[in-house]
Amino acid sequence: MNLQEKINQDFSQYKTQANSSDAFVQLREQAFTEFEKLGFPSTKHEEWKYTNLKPIAEQSFQATCEINPAVHAFVKQSIFSTIQANRLVFVNGSFVQELSTMLETNTEIIIGSLATERHKHKTIFEAHFGKYAQVEGQALNALNTALLSDGAFVVVPDGKTVSHPIVILNITDSSAINVLAQPRNLVVIGKSASVTIIEAYEAMGTNAAFTNGVTEVYAAENAHVEHYKIQQQAGESYQNNFTQIFQEANTNINHVTLTLDGTMVRNNLHFYMNGENCNSLLYGLYITDSKDFVDNHTRVDHAKPNCFSDEKYKGILKDQSTAVFNGKIMVHLDAQKTNAYQRNQNILLSDDATVNTKPQLEIFADDVKCTHGATIGQLDEEPMFYLRSRGIPEDVARKLLLNAFADDIAEKINIPELVTLLEQQIEHKL
Amino acid sequence: MLEIKELKAEIEGKKILNGINLVVKPGEVHAIMGPNGAGKSTLSSVLAGRADYEVTGGTVSFNGKDLLDMAPEDRAREGVFLAFQYPVEIPGVSTTNFLKTAINEKRKYLGLEPMEATDFLKFMREKMELMEMDKALTSRSLNEGFSGGEKKRNEVFQMAMLEPQLSIMDETDSGLDIDALRLVSTGVNKLKDGKRSFVVITHYQRLLDYIVPDFVHVLYKGRIVKSGDANLAKELEVKGYDWIKEEVEAGA
Ligand SMILES: Nc1ncnc2c1ncn2[C@@H]1O[C@H](COP(=O)(O)OP(=O)(O)OP(=O)(O)O)[C@@H](O)[C@H]1O
Ligand SMILES: [Mg+2]
Repeated sequence: MNLQEKINQDFSQYKTQANSSDAFVQLREQAFTEFEKLGFPSTKHEEWKYTNLKPIAEQSFQATCEINPAVHAFVKQSIFSTIQANRLVFVNGSFVQELSTMLETNTEIIIGSLATERHKHKTIFEAHFGKYAQVEGQALNALNTALLSDGAFVVVPDGKTVSHPIVILNITDSSAINVLAQPRNLVVIGKSASVTIIEAYEAMGTNAAFTNGVTEVYAAENAHVEHYKIQQQAGESYQNNFTQIFQEANTNINHVTLTLDGTMVRNNLHFYMNGENCNSLLYGLYITDSKDFVDNHTRVDHAKPNCFSDEKYKGILKDQSTAVFNGKIMVHLDAQKTNAYQRNQNILLSDDATVNTKPQLEIFADDVKCTHGATIGQLDEEPMFYLRSRGIPEDVARKLLLNAFADDIAEKINIPELVTLLEQQIEHKL
Repeated sequence: MLEIKELKAEIEGKKILNGINLVVKPGEVHAIMGPNGAGKSTLSSVLAGRADYEVTGGTVSFNGKDLLDMAPEDRAREGVFLAFQYPVEIPGVSTTNFLKTAINEKRKYLGLEPMEATDFLKFMREKMELMEMDKALTSRSLNEGFSGGEKKRNEVFQMAMLEPQLSIMDETDSGLDIDALRLVSTGVNKLKDGKRSFVVITHYQRLLDYIVPDFVHVLYKGRIVKSGDANLAKELEVKGYDWIKEEVEAGA
């Protein structure tokens, strides 16, 4: 069966065992109706102009499959296992307890699987789940909501700090068959609380894998969140993911997306500032080769006055790869004294690589400071000649310059292991 | 050491070097002077291997090897160094990392083991002291936000680190204050060992008070039109270039 048929089958199977009086079940049924109405986004859709889901939608899928025992070894040698962290491991969207580790000792802090924890913390779950990531008009969010498998559920109460980062490691295992994984994360950070979250995506197996993820982050007043999304899916991996970060007043959010591997990656990163004096930092780096495709769609909603956002996405493209950047900044009517900056810079290492970049500023307030800019080009010749004139061979010089280019983003990463991973990928890919 | 014969070069069809002849022997210091636009920087760029220029005639041999046939990095590793007139800023590349890479690439080329990290740092500290380089400068990105004078001083610092056989200094003295000028001269004079050679491009006699040249050449319209000893520079300081231009026009 193709993807659509699998989805229909999975949902009718889900309905036979679901209790329709449960609010959560009702939400999922509504979401499914919305998905049926919208269907898979096609390239005719303005927001999906460059991103073609057809290659994955036409693959053949089966109901479910057993988890390959080799996944244990895979997780052990993963770089994400070297980080001292609370680690939640999901394979094809399902939580794997025995591969996960918990360091946090404060029992008031919830770090666990959404599928189990939501029952234990029903009030907080229902207060936040589905409240931020929009389903209306968003086919893939609707699909995730209807058929989500599992994901991380994190709740940090007011004033608390999670002492180690939380790694949410998502692995697709397509060793036996093509797979569909729909992880769903919900992160609720209390007032003056703080946390570091690393969402990581890796892949094993030679068949195709499609990940359709949604992450909702709610940050109460004065909260501080560091959020990393690290995409490193080898093989034939497709990924769409939607992240909605909802900020109350005085919150600081520092986000970095690193896209280091993946056949097709579509990131949708949305920030909504619902209070004054918010600080939102959005940084991204993508390094693409072969025929890989990476699309970063971001949206920053300055809904209240006196907020600051700084966005910088950088790309290094090789071979016949393609990147898309679409950054929307919405400054709402009463969001006076907004400061919003956006840059997208790309280096093409091949004549066959392509970048489509589009900033979109929609400003309804009058007293704001907004700048944006995009560049696409080759490595500059002047620095190259300077380095070579000092005895540094061309390939080493190129690496130095590309590292320097990436350094802008690398310096925003506060986890040494992630910096190492990035350096390794630059070394390996370039 | 360096032998330039009838060197001709052009850029975008514009002839800039029209037959340069110059022989530099080990241990010699040559000064090249000449009016703006004469082709001095072009000559140094061609020697360093900048790709923009097309060599249309002549030969350059360096220690018996065909210099023009080599990639820029190989020229450097064979011992040619160019102190740029306008050093470029390279954000994100630290001076230390850059120099370590350059030194070890040269050692690799010469079949030597890379320098130990501690030896490197010690060596670098010595040269920094010699050039009175502020620590803050070397920990920053290469030339990024450096003042004009700091950039020039950084060029000589790199020269001191790389210990080239032949140093070509393109107006390293312009934009330097008196103290920095003295430092640059110290850097150069320290490197002198009777075998290393220098080609110093300058507009001013001032530098040549410190770095005394064995020969002074005047470059005009892409040719060396006059050569002499250190006194020629002093004469030029007083008389300017008009008399030479007239001589050239008369001879043509
Ligand atoms: N990239 C280029 N494109 C076109 N013309 C060039 C280029 N580079 C140099 N030239 C020209 O070549 C001539 C020689 O330039 P060059 O920089 O070598 O002069 P110079 O002797 O170093 O002068 P100065 O004393 O001002 O530094 C000048 O007329 C200059 O305009
Ligand atoms: Mg010049």
